[in-house]
Amino acid sequence: MSDMSAPLDSRVEIVTPENIAFHYRVAGPFRRFPAYFIDLLVRWAFLLVLLIAVSAAGVVLGGAAIAVFLVAYFVVEWFYGGLFETFMNGQTPGKWVLGIRVLSSDGQPINGVQAVLRNVLRFVDMMPMVSLQIFGGPPLYVLPTFVFALLTMTLSRRFQRIGDLVCGTIVVIEERYWLTGVARLEDARARQLAEYIPLEFRVSRSLARALAAYVDRRRFFSPERRREVARHLAQPLLERFGFPPDTSYDLVLCALYYRTFVAERFGEGTREDDLGRNPFRAADQPQPAAVVLPASNSLADRPGP
Amino acid sequence: MKVSQLLEQRRQNWRELEQLCDGPRRSRSTAHAVSRFAALYRAACADLALADAYQLPPDTVQYLHRLVGRAHNRLYQTKPFHVSVWGQALLVDAPRRIFQDRCVQLAFCVFWGAFLLSFFLAQSQAAFPAYAEEMLSQEVIEQLESNFSESLRGRDPSLNYAMAGFYIQHNTGIGFKCFASGLLVVPGLFICLYNAAFLGAAFGYMARPDVPEGVNFFHFVTAHGPFELTAIVLATGAGLRLGWSWIQTGGLTRLASLRRAADESVPLIGAMMVLFFLAALIEGFLSPSGAPYSLKAAVAIFSSGALMFYFIVLGFPRSANRAVG
Repeated sequence: MSDMSAPLDSRVEIVTPENIAFHYRVAGPFRRFPAYFIDLLVRWAFLLVLLIAVSAAGVVLGGAAIAVFLVAYFVVEWFYGGLFETFMNGQTPGKWVLGIRVLSSDGQPINGVQAVLRNVLRFVDMMPMVSLQIFGGPPLYVLPTFVFALLTMTLSRRFQRIGDLVCGTIVVIEERYWLTGVARLEDARARQLAEYIPLEFRVSRSLARALAAYVDRRRFFSPERRREVARHLAQPLLERFGFPPDTSYDLVLCALYYRTFVAERFGEGTREDDLGRNPFRAADQPQPAAVVLPASNSLADRPGP
Repeated sequence: MKVSQLLEQRRQNWRELEQLCDGPRRSRSTAHAVSRFAALYRAACADLALADAYQLPPDTVQYLHRLVGRAHNRLYQTKPFHVSVWGQALLVDAPRRIFQDRCVQLAFCVFWGAFLLSFFLAQSQAAFPAYAEEMLSQEVIEQLESNFSESLRGRDPSLNYAMAGFYIQHNTGIGFKCFASGLLVVPGLFICLYNAAFLGAAFGYMARPDVPEGVNFFHFVTAHGPFELTAIVLATGAGLRLGWSWIQTGGLTRLASLRRAADESVPLIGAMMVLFFLAALIEGFLSPSGAPYSLKAAVAIFSSGALMFYFIVLGFPRSANRAVG
């Protein structure tokens, strides 16, 4: 939402043809490597099954069965990712498990050529290869280190490896998120206190966001911690509302939250009100009656459990 | 309306959209489900666009971003391959691009220059007695000699299938590795030079007059040579096109230049794969057979002619008018 947070965040904004902007989180190496590892296991399992089938069929077919296995090995080695990403809408089995998906940089789905090319170019991302000989192993085997992939992911803003950069693709996290709705306030005093908040006080958008962020998370905090966190916002509000200074900070924020999200008509204080108000009659509006608060000690912080 | 009321109202729609996202793919769902999905998606988009004005809590906004993202990916799906344009790409785009491509020309010169030089060094035993052994190593030479110690009489036909499969898997894989490492220029050139020097040394060693296995060796390699060696040159050239594109960008940003080169190199890779497959079939079935050398030479001449036709006749640059007419 605010541009200042963009450079530090792993978020990309996609603007669709419907002119809607929405956000994705970009998948980093620690989510993509497990996906690759799962794909590797799937590939090996498939080849193992095929090898057993081919060995069984080899009795009848002879060399043709071996040829089938070798060609299948070639296809799986070079086109596994490309084919799956083409026909599973940007996902391989491993990516599906990890909930990530390949998209074009502009958020559109990829095409088959992009899918195949970015998987063929993984060979460069795996470099430099390290021979097991260094560790006293047999000289033939080489281990991919993926150092180039990590380097380019670090240097690019969207965690793109070399294959992604060449094909113009990104890998985004596509996970479900639970709809929580409005927080329930178990404390009835917040509702009572909400009625004493002056009617002309308008909650700005940034204040509403801050309130929602606080109230959604306050149940994870201890009372002392709530007091500490809420103080910065609640102290000026207390003075403004004319509440007794020993009112619980937490309670003030809850009350304001209740009024903003549950009790108040939304739009009040933002749109319709601004448009519909007659500036010449502002003076006629009734002044709020003097507030008579309940006994102030009942609004102070309750002793912690 | 209160925010909480609004949320209660929308909750049903959002849940339904979520269920449709998890449901069967678009191609397999009913017309009703598709139109319902579109309506719900538009509604969710509108809710997200107005989230700020509605003062929805941040958690809900986050939820909407995820929901719209998932629905977007459900609606816009991957475009599969356009098989109909493959013929055009292989027969029209690829040869014209290859004909004009400086990188393919460079790869051609590097490969054949190194090959001929290595051939000459390995063959002239008197002047450079140690070159072939150093280049190929003693083990490789012994293996080559034992492989080609008997004249070719053909082998078990089922072995032919297996070997053709092996050549497809192994050689095309090398081609892809050549292409991919060309992106980093130096590894690409190194692999090209190494292959050229190695093959040249093997050919040169076998061409020595005192090596009796040479006859069988050339009997074996003649038929599939043109396709295979051209394919490796193409792979290197396509890789160098990628690597050169981010060095000399032609006024674009490095990434944009790289992307354009990647698009351009795709037909070359297609041509490379076709050539490797053809070479593998010849190498698997004709080369080891006992067919007379004249037949194999004829195949080599014919395939060279076909390559000439492909690169020069099909690839010769046409003026824009003639291309339209």
